[in-house]
Amino acid sequence: MEKTKLISRPINWNKIEDSVDLDVWNRLTQNFWLPEKVPLSNDVQSWGTLRPHEQKLTMHVFTGLTMLDTIQGTIGAMSLMPDARTQHEEAVITNIAFMESVHAKSYSSVFSTLCSTNDIEEAFRWSEDNPYLQKKAEIILGYYNGDDPLKRKVASTLLESFLFYSGFYLPMYWSSRAKLTNTADLIRLIIRDEAIHGYYIGYKFQLGFNEASKERQEELRSYTYDLLLELYENEIKYTADLYDEIGLTHDVKKFLHYNGNKALMNLGFDPLFPKDECDVSPAILSSLSPSSDENHDFFSGSGSSYVIGKHESTTDDDWDF
Amino acid sequence: MANQIVELADDLGNPTGKTAIDNALSYQDLNAMINLWGQDEKLQLEKDKLAVRRYFLDHVNQNTVFFHSLQERLDYLVENEYYEKEILDQYSFEFIEKLEALAYSKKFRFEAFMGAYKFYTGYALKTFDGTRYLERFEDRVVMVALTLAAGDEDVATNLVEEIISGRFQPATPTFLNCGKKQRGEFVSCFLLRIEDNMESIARGINSALQLSKRGGGVALSLSNVREYGAPIKKIEGQSSGIIPVMKLLEDSFSYANQLGARQGAGAVYLNAHHPDILRFLDTKRENADEKTRIKTLSIGVVVPDVTLELAKSGEDMYLFSPYDVEKVYGVPFGDISVTEKYQEMVDDPRIKKSKIKARELFERIAELQFESGYPYVMYEDTVNEANPIQGRINMSNLCSEILQVNTPTTYNQDLSYDEIGKDISCNLGSMNIAMAMDGPDFGKTVETSIRALSAVSDMSNIESVRSISDGNHKSHAIGLGQMNLHGYLAREKVHYGSEESIDFTNMYFYTVVYHAIKASNKIAIERKTHFHNFENSKYATGEYFDKYTNQTWAPATPKVKELFDKAGVAIPTQAEWETLKKSVMKHGIYNQNLQAVPPTGSISYINNSTSSIHPIASRIEVRKEGKLGRVYYPAPFLSEETWEYYEDAYEVGPEKIIDVYAAATQHVDQGLSLTLFFKDTATTRDVNRAQIYAWKKGIKTIYYIRIRQAALEGTEVENCVSCML
Repeated sequence: MEKTKLISRPINWNKIEDSVDLDVWNRLTQNFWLPEKVPLSNDVQSWGTLRPHEQKLTMHVFTGLTMLDTIQGTIGAMSLMPDARTQHEEAVITNIAFMESVHAKSYSSVFSTLCSTNDIEEAFRWSEDNPYLQKKAEIILGYYNGDDPLKRKVASTLLESFLFYSGFYLPMYWSSRAKLTNTADLIRLIIRDEAIHGYYIGYKFQLGFNEASKERQEELRSYTYDLLLELYENEIKYTADLYDEIGLTHDVKKFLHYNGNKALMNLGFDPLFPKDECDVSPAILSSLSPSSDENHDFFSGSGSSYVIGKHESTTDDDWDF
Repeated sequence: MANQIVELADDLGNPTGKTAIDNALSYQDLNAMINLWGQDEKLQLEKDKLAVRRYFLDHVNQNTVFFHSLQERLDYLVENEYYEKEILDQYSFEFIEKLEALAYSKKFRFEAFMGAYKFYTGYALKTFDGTRYLERFEDRVVMVALTLAAGDEDVATNLVEEIISGRFQPATPTFLNCGKKQRGEFVSCFLLRIEDNMESIARGINSALQLSKRGGGVALSLSNVREYGAPIKKIEGQSSGIIPVMKLLEDSFSYANQLGARQGAGAVYLNAHHPDILRFLDTKRENADEKTRIKTLSIGVVVPDVTLELAKSGEDMYLFSPYDVEKVYGVPFGDISVTEKYQEMVDDPRIKKSKIKARELFERIAELQFESGYPYVMYEDTVNEANPIQGRINMSNLCSEILQVNTPTTYNQDLSYDEIGKDISCNLGSMNIAMAMDGPDFGKTVETSIRALSAVSDMSNIESVRSISDGNHKSHAIGLGQMNLHGYLAREKVHYGSEESIDFTNMYFYTVVYHAIKASNKIAIERKTHFHNFENSKYATGEYFDKYTNQTWAPATPKVKELFDKAGVAIPTQAEWETLKKSVMKHGIYNQNLQAVPPTGSISYINNSTSSIHPIASRIEVRKEGKLGRVYYPAPFLSEETWEYYEDAYEVGPEKIIDVYAAATQHVDQGLSLTLFFKDTATTRDVNRAQIYAWKKGIKTIYYIRIRQAALEGTEVENCVSCML
């Protein structure tokens, strides 16, 4: 048997096969940010006004999010690499993977700014001991290690568009109550990224899905709903475990429904949860928007709207005065 | 749907420490609903009114201390050191009672949830433990009026009328602090020079701490400080430049922030021809090193005309060592006109210099503005050209609307003062354009406002910073601002940026400046005094009035003529200007500076206005602040009828905004905070073009650049009003 010769090919950004690759690349690079930009220390006072169980909840939520971002940065995004349809997709995935690591590190910035070392260690121990969080990781990791590329994309989209949100709820809730507003800025930057990641991976899934046979499509569809339900069952327990004490479980569940439907939408499937089970509290829903419409006060925060500008030199005409 | 957490109480009403959910919609939720389309795809503005109601029922009323009578209330507040006794003692109790009755008779109601929330969160007097309210809006207004009127019953009555009707609104520090026993200063803004020596740098930091502690925003000029690598005691390569000074200042402001009632905030300005200019800008880079990154300190660049000329011809621009410049000319770098001395300094071998491409500097500025909104820009020569006062303006303030002359302070070996120079303070207050046009007597509204602002200047005495208190006593500088321009235009069905809107802005500011100078002249006559060095101002020579006496100013469009006629606001005639000119030349004016148009954040929410003379950021503004969280604010007078006149600032675009500001600028002796708004499709070139256009149109300063990025298609939240671009 003759061996196929591997040819290395340099990536040519002047020849774009799929314009979405370029759009998303541009958007992601424009949105580049690092946690150091957000003046988290302005939240120290606000942190002090949270009651002990509220502080604990917040830390647990953030450790949970750290866990997901760790998985997505080191395993999830990378597992999509072998199946990339274009070289440009590969490039986008490297960006996604990197930003997930930035996100994971951001939570540590929050911790180190607001909490003591003992509390941080307690929270990380909690994450290792919490059965639902571990289960969540286990389910997702199982599919990442599987050998079906489209199923990996489904798992990844559900993680980006669904699983994160039980955690995102809390900082949005605090910010609507004027607590931890700078932390909320940081989380909004993360939401801004995750919204694009979920959308992009879902889009790539749809390309593969549309080429597949009817039977295969059916298989993928039922696989997706099954996986979503499996994750949902666990997520409900996770949510109750976190939010019961503060009394928000009911609303977070609606938020899960809302985002579950959103994840399905990204994959091109019909919503699962009926509309009246998705009526998330308006204060949370309004704060979700990934567009940078927040008119922030510069003196108390850095906002979540700035982007890396596109450089263009002026010409002589511009200086005609 | 709702998720308001309520504390559970046992049968005796004692808290149990447990919480549960209240099923009714919380005021936060009701407020957020205005940002979501209703089921019939309609705006749910009425939900905001419900939010106000709910806020009062659930929160304010339950947490307000009740008094049986005014007497009981005042006695309690004085005895417990909430109110200042001296203020109340200037009046009879009967008068105060009458004034309270007057205030309450106006049936004031907050139009927007944001206004009510902002007032109770940030302004109303609270018990010392911070849990209960001791004032309503009316009480605050009365206390402000009693304080500023300093015993004059007529002035106090006028002030209550103007403030409660929404025609005049004092700036936050004044409105917040008046009459309170435990309080900060009434003055909004401070500007300090730093000279090229350790004594001055240290004094600058000390002053920054003192002024932040008292609640003011502080700007410092770093243009005079020697650059990185400059010699110290003739040994080359010793100086660390300005970045470490910025770091020290940033830390000072955040320290004072932890103690003060208001967030400590500061800005630093640097001349474009200072050798550290690129390092200065890079402190705001997204990927700046932690050692050099500046997070919360604002930055501004002072740009002389020569920089633009060099950029025009695509040339290099020279940067000059402030250390050498001061040695050669005997005055600090900031006191030299770079435009005037540019060639001379280039040719002088004694001055160490380096060069960069002028256009690249502007591109760099634009890049940074994309990433962070900074730096502010001040067009130095435009500013000095328009300045009627003797001396030089070399910096602006935290909001880039204060433009006044200053002089250096020198120190002795033991750090005591050798000669106290003049630094700048300014207290502000803004008129609501719509309400002022609706008012019964426009001239009286302006005069009352000028008197209120002058009173703040008279009462201020910042002993800890002598250069500030000396400067204030000499100048009585004030800054009368304006807000709700877009609100007024939309209500009158005029598009922001249209010919009519520019015409209106021109005539409005023309009318204001006449009444402002007239009021200041009146005070000078009453008190038989004028601001220090009036003799050498363009007011004294009469030169200032040329543009008003040499030509007639009248509305150019029928619509604007109609608006003024309808409102019964008389437009000052040439003859009136002649009379005023004579009186000013004879008696002087009391205030060295009269107008400055601030960005008006908080007070425009309370006053139910659109900010400053900007277009709105969004029909439903998503406002985010440290103390408020995320709140939604509908544009005033927003309805289906006015909807189309509320194009937002990103749609209006920079050129039209500049046109409107240019019309106002020609009548304002200080500056106007001008924010430019770009969509994320703009490039650095678009930003540069706007800067060039602004300079051409005679704009004095540019404040923030705001960027709005639309959500990537497919990722947006359904139903969201503010996302609808």
